[in-house]
Amino acid sequence: MINTREETSLQAGLRKSNFQLLLATAIWVGSTAIMSFGPSAFWSFDTTLTFLAIAANLIAGGFMLYSFFRHLKNMDELQRQTHLEAMALTLGITMVLTVIYGALPQAKVLASAQPANVLFVIGISYILSVITLWLRRTSA
Amino acid sequence: MKNKLKVLRADRDWTQADLADRLHVTRQTINAIEKGKYDPSLPLAFKVAALFGLPIEEIFFPEAD
Repeated sequence: MINTREETSLQAGLRKSNFQLLLATAIWVGSTAIMSFGPSAFWSFDTTLTFLAIAANLIAGGFMLYSFFRHLKNMDELQRQTHLEAMALTLGITMVLTVIYGALPQAKVLASAQPANVLFVIGISYILSVITLWLRRTSA
Repeated sequence: MKNKLKVLRADRDWTQADLADRLHVTRQTINAIEKGKYDPSLPLAFKVAALFGLPIEEIFFPEAD
């Protein structure tokens, strides 16, 4: 029998890409904070520095996307399928809820709709979808 | 799709983790395949067939058979 206490190549690859994704996400969050608050807090709305901050944010976003694709490729096929199905569910849920949310100000139920709130819907839907799909396939 | 993965694995006295390690997948994937909750991709099915030295159709077969 194989000694399963040792880390397999699959686990090692996942751990490495997981760390890279964590790092890329942290850099992106940091660059987003600088882009958002830098103009007022650090460089008095200097347009050149603001454009540099936007460029840095775009690059950080690209690195985060690349890291996510790499992480997806390192997963085994059940994990990858679970994540892809979760993304499909998230897309559908977000589309339906965003249309409703966008209609609320017109119906005078809400004063205004904040686009940033959609990010919460995406995040929560994705996490719940991954957990539900994974448990459905792997529970006894 | 049904399969004989559990029987073949037990014949060799392998745990799910042993088989997962040999196929470079997670133990949960082996568990899901054995329970019929997940159908493996064609490349993985070929790897399983090669590992056990059997044709694919002797390991995986449709529900109706």
